[in-house]
Amino acid sequence: MKNAIETHELTKIYNNNFKAVNSLNLEIPNKSIFGMLGPNGAGKTTTIKMLTCLIQPTSGCATVCGYDVQKNPDEVRNLLGMVPQQVSLYKDLTVMENSQLCADYYGIPADERDSRIEDLMELVDIEYARDKRVGQLSGGQKQKASLVASLVHRPDILFLDEPTIGLDPTTKRTLWDLIRELNDNGHTIILCSHDMHEVDMLCDNVGIINTGNLVAYDTPQGLKDSLLEENKKELTDALSEIHSENEVSKSTQEKLENLSLRKMSFLLQNHDENIVSNLQNMDDVRSVEIARNGRINLRIDAFDDMVVQNILKDVIASGGIIKSIYTEEPSLEDVFIKATAEVDEDARA
Amino acid sequence: MLELKKFWWMIKKELISLKRHPGRLVSIIAFPIIMILLFGYGMGGEMTDLPILVVSQSDGNLTDLTLDTIKTTETYHVVEVIDDMDEGKHRVDNGEVKAAIILPSDYDDDSSQQKSVTLYLDSSDQMASQILESSTQGIFYRLSNVVAASQTSVSTQNASIEPSLVHSLSNFKDDISLHINKIYGNIKYIDFLVPAVLGMTVMFSCMMGMGATIAGERETGELARLFMTPTSVSTVIGGKIAAKLLIELFRALILIVMAILLFNVSIKGGILQTFIVLVVGALCFVSFGIFFSARTSTQEDYAQIVMPFSMPMMFVSGVFYPIETMPWILQKLAYVFPLTYLNDAMRGIMLKGQTLGDVWFDLVILLGFTLLFFIIGVKRFNRDV
Repeated sequence: MKNAIETHELTKIYNNNFKAVNSLNLEIPNKSIFGMLGPNGAGKTTTIKMLTCLIQPTSGCATVCGYDVQKNPDEVRNLLGMVPQQVSLYKDLTVMENSQLCADYYGIPADERDSRIEDLMELVDIEYARDKRVGQLSGGQKQKASLVASLVHRPDILFLDEPTIGLDPTTKRTLWDLIRELNDNGHTIILCSHDMHEVDMLCDNVGIINTGNLVAYDTPQGLKDSLLEENKKELTDALSEIHSENEVSKSTQEKLENLSLRKMSFLLQNHDENIVSNLQNMDDVRSVEIARNGRINLRIDAFDDMVVQNILKDVIASGGIIKSIYTEEPSLEDVFIKATAEVDEDARA
Repeated sequence: MLELKKFWWMIKKELISLKRHPGRLVSIIAFPIIMILLFGYGMGGEMTDLPILVVSQSDGNLTDLTLDTIKTTETYHVVEVIDDMDEGKHRVDNGEVKAAIILPSDYDDDSSQQKSVTLYLDSSDQMASQILESSTQGIFYRLSNVVAASQTSVSTQNASIEPSLVHSLSNFKDDISLHINKIYGNIKYIDFLVPAVLGMTVMFSCMMGMGATIAGERETGELARLFMTPTSVSTVIGGKIAAKLLIELFRALILIVMAILLFNVSIKGGILQTFIVLVVGALCFVSFGIFFSARTSTQEDYAQIVMPFSMPMMFVSGVFYPIETMPWILQKLAYVFPLTYLNDAMRGIMLKGQTLGDVWFDLVILLGFTLLFFIIGVKRFNRDV
């Protein structure tokens, strides 16, 4: 099977006529890690609720591993696991008891229930807390316990809703490794997160949902490259406007200021105002900022490495001794902000 | 088999929670005890030792006999016997005592045709004044029988309304002999109260408890996890009901035992039948809780929705006063509330010694409410959290 999840014109309109999901067409490849992004209220949660059979779609259809969510809800439920943002285990029960409860609710045979749980506990490294009450666990331990309970029926697809929110960096990385391992073991992972770095690091594909629509879908690198290309086009258009009219309209000016251009920064051993002044006069340098620690941050109007090299050559020729250098491409966050801002403008219009 | 396992998990979860939180267990046990103590001692007891004065302006055998009788009556606590009528009235007026029994100067005079005793009464305390009035009437009725030769009458002066108004309450020399045949024995107010307090306690704990279970678990997300498994709404809800019912029946049992131990309440129909009626009542109110929690997402919402039903139900369903004494509109309203039928069945079994067959109508109505609430509750139930 090519796709783990497919939706076709999936729509949900609540009783108050609020259209939370609007003709969503989405394909999530089997055995991939898919990042579902979107601002608050974009329709992600409603989409997940429809896919997990918690609510019925108003129109359209969705299939999970080929099963229709409306016609075969029990088959779909058996194929899904969910680790919600809010740990939804019984706090008075131990990790083991919670997992046993979930296993029995999924109808796991008694003779293999406990061994499955033990294996999962070992996998997520929580076996040391098997007899501890969930209410007594730390945030990371709770997420691990939640993972065990969600994986006990060996679901093909695992939904992770903000799995690392509030966790310390070390625990976060442990969970990332675990997510990769689960994916290697054949689970399709659907990750909802506002941590763009996390999504960039983990996901094979990313879909951005806003006002109930899929507004962007690609690999993380593909999305960033698209933004870069888009910015290049916008900049070219803006520049040609300047050349043709000899003035810049207010909207063009705003666009130019907000473009996610290649960013570059370096730290000089011998900070010199002349070097900064030279940089400000260079054609390809849009803006120069001096940070508190002396780091020189540049926004550059160029998209090839030659420009970067030219800037460096100029600094060195001016007598600057470069201590460290850093260049930055548009991030997934830039993609997210742009994609959701455009839809916001459309919605307002 | 699988569904039974799921049912069992809900019960097991509740029991484990109780075991790990002794405080909750103590609360479950303490709640019915507090309720029965509160209602039993606060409302159901008899009034005794009400402070009074006796103003005696006469001497003689009849006066002595009257004083002895008053002093040995449990209703009164005779603070002092004085001879100044004005002082006696003054001490009633300023609230020092509840009443003054004034024996006139000719009380022991054989030649006197009419012996007019005055009960100077603080009627601002309605409960106390009613008891003092009837008790005093009773005493002088008995005395007039003993001293048949003389006529004795008692008058009541109402201190708080119009102290000067004296009216003759009754003439105790009566030729009519009244025989009272109480078909269910001598039922005290506590006896009347306990069956309904049992029902009311079950009502409150079932309705509120169900809200905590369903709306609370919705709020914290545990319910969502259950609903994401291939399990029907009725199984999840049924499991919740079974767990809640078990705890409520434990509470009901404590209530019954405490009522017997503390207030010597007699259960003429037997504990088993009382228990069965309470099970039916608990089922009804648990379903009532399901009905209201079907679409509420937080405990706070649930409490706000349930309160306008539970409070009127408590006052209208004949817990404290017979329904027949209420205004007609409340009487009609009472029959809309399931607690009315539970109270009726409980009083039938506990006070009248009726059997389950005798209270079949109440049980059918309660089971009907249960079925209705459960079906609508499950239909309306939203898996969404």
